[in-house]
Amino acid sequence: MPLTFYHFKNAVSAFFEIPTERARELLPAPMQPLEVHHGSSILALTAFDFHDSMVGAYQEIVLAIVVPPLVKSGDPFPKSAMYPFLLGTSTAESRQHAIERWRLPHYMKNVDVKFEETNRHMRIRVMEGENPILDFEVTDYNWDPVDQLHQCFTRDGQSRFKVDIHMKGKFTEHEEERGTLELYDHPMCRNLVRDEIADRPFRELWMKDGTQIFEELQTL
Amino acid sequence: MKQPLDTSSNALRASTRAAREKERAIDGAAPVIPARPDAPDAAAQVYNNDFSDYDYSNFYSGSGDDAFALLDPFDAWWAQARPAGYYLFGQPMVTAPKTRVSVVETKGHRRLDNLVNLASYNYLGLSYRPEVIDAAVQATQRYGLGASGSPILSGTFDLHEELAENLAKFKKKEAVLLFSTGYSANLGLIAGLMRPGDLIVADQWAHASIVDGIILSKANVRFFRHNRVEDLEKKLKGFHGKKLVIVEGVYSMDGDIVKLPELVEVCRRYGARIMIDEAHSTFLFGENGRGVAEKFGLEDEVDIHLGTFSKSLGGMGGFVAGPRKLVNYLRGFARSHVFSCALAPGVTAGLIKALDIVQTEPELRAKLHENAATMRRLLRDHGVDIGESTSQVIPIMIRRDELIFPLAEEMIHEGVYLHPIKYPAVSKHRSRFRLSISASHTQEQLEQGADVIVRVLKRHNLCR
Repeated sequence: MPLTFYHFKNAVSAFFEIPTERARELLPAPMQPLEVHHGSSILALTAFDFHDSMVGAYQEIVLAIVVPPLVKSGDPFPKSAMYPFLLGTSTAESRQHAIERWRLPHYMKNVDVKFEETNRHMRIRVMEGENPILDFEVTDYNWDPVDQLHQCFTRDGQSRFKVDIHMKGKFTEHEEERGTLELYDHPMCRNLVRDEIADRPFRELWMKDGTQIFEELQTL
Repeated sequence: MKQPLDTSSNALRASTRAAREKERAIDGAAPVIPARPDAPDAAAQVYNNDFSDYDYSNFYSGSGDDAFALLDPFDAWWAQARPAGYYLFGQPMVTAPKTRVSVVETKGHRRLDNLVNLASYNYLGLSYRPEVIDAAVQATQRYGLGASGSPILSGTFDLHEELAENLAKFKKKEAVLLFSTGYSANLGLIAGLMRPGDLIVADQWAHASIVDGIILSKANVRFFRHNRVEDLEKKLKGFHGKKLVIVEGVYSMDGDIVKLPELVEVCRRYGARIMIDEAHSTFLFGENGRGVAEKFGLEDEVDIHLGTFSKSLGGMGGFVAGPRKLVNYLRGFARSHVFSCALAPGVTAGLIKALDIVQTEPELRAKLHENAATMRRLLRDHGVDIGESTSQVIPIMIRRDELIFPLAEEMIHEGVYLHPIKYPAVSKHRSRFRLSISASHTQEQLEQGADVIVRVLKRHNLCR
């Protein structure tokens, strides 16, 4: 089974509540968003600081909706699943690679993803040149080594795909609601209605010194 | 940070990485769904994996074609999760839920006797009061075991009418509608009153029965941050149409009290009706025990009062108290009322007697609050984190999810019966024990309970 490895210094995620009907609009039919409460689904923002990959070092911001995993007899049972509806990366090469290999939809200009770590806080600032796109902040909790399996769904035209992704590294998560979010007027945020998205994450997740391992892309 | 494209150096990195990666393998920590779950080798494969990173939430939803798709992975997880700690839930009690109880530990198949009971809801100790039991026995002898009918058909007895009338007088409301459980009271009320297109705004920590009632109503829903008045206002702003705000008197996992005056003011400003679920506060709070709304002097400002009989009165059932027009409407549209068997006659008679006691023995409420204050002090004196509790529901915040089951086992084995609460019942890493204090606890029992809790927590450096 061919595997693709991406080594990162930091992978920082924050989960925000978003109205289910808005989340559904960001998904291809018949995919459904997972509900955290009735009527409330999950917008997941994840920033990666890759220092080693087959397309070199780069930074990435992933905007995704959390969805139910595809459960099939004989398959490993995933911890979560998501549908990334937009990614931004800091290099053209990484963008081209992710589009061709994983069918991931990208904002087609370079973006800067800044990681500002201070005293158990991590602030993520995503910019295009001088124009801010979004900022979010998470805090840590206890750090433990993990090896988690996630599913990622993508599509290309009418074709639908799934890839299993292993995340290994030192990991912390909590729901203390200490984080923040700021969305700016930028094309990357055009599908996100600011007033409808919680301004602080209900869950904060942070992995350090880890590896993201993609299995083969499967056609559904 | 923008990276210059450098394909040659990337190629070099890729080749050295390829050699390194050949030696790596994925650990396979994710549980594998057995292709044939009944096959021993498949089961062994599942059980060899580490399931501790999974919880109930992982098995809630999955896509695919088979409606049973989640059963095998859940079963495989449960086989490991249950002995690891989930067995602590629902262990059979073999005595009355008094302040000392005996419980059968299902893991070790042994009986644990004389545990100080800090788990039961029996806030006023009424479930085993002799006069309550006598009333229940006499009614059972006269009317039989069950009501044998829906309240709107043959299930209404004179006892039900007596209880509803007495309760309406006690609550100083025009009318009361009875339900078989507190859960069905919330379902029936919310889904009976609200419709698609309406808006319900509920506290984010609202009980599951409130959430389920909202789902059944098909109304739009927004949850506001717990007890945050400004967030309630944000959620109400801009909506035109019918609006219902739902809060609880005492929150069942944290024991804190609703900020009712501020919330009522916002509701009035936005033309929203407000409903209070006083499951853990009615018969306990306020000068006459009518609940948190009475405590704040806001009984008339709150539109709908809901309560249960299972906690303070030690029986079972739920009720809605409010204007007669509301109750008459719900009598026809609260489907959990219409389509459920009425409360059992024995229980109903016991509740009538228990309500009498609540009104004639106010010292019970005083004793309960004194006991709760004592327990809070005993714990706080040792630096135990009990959150924001100001009621008889006292959380012991452990926070670290991985510790909660081992701590629970130690506490039970050392003589205290209490329940661990962990995600997804509460937020991740907000694990806790939830203590339920009773007016019947003696000082000695409270001290013994606190001693055990403090001893165990000290052992793990969780208090001083």
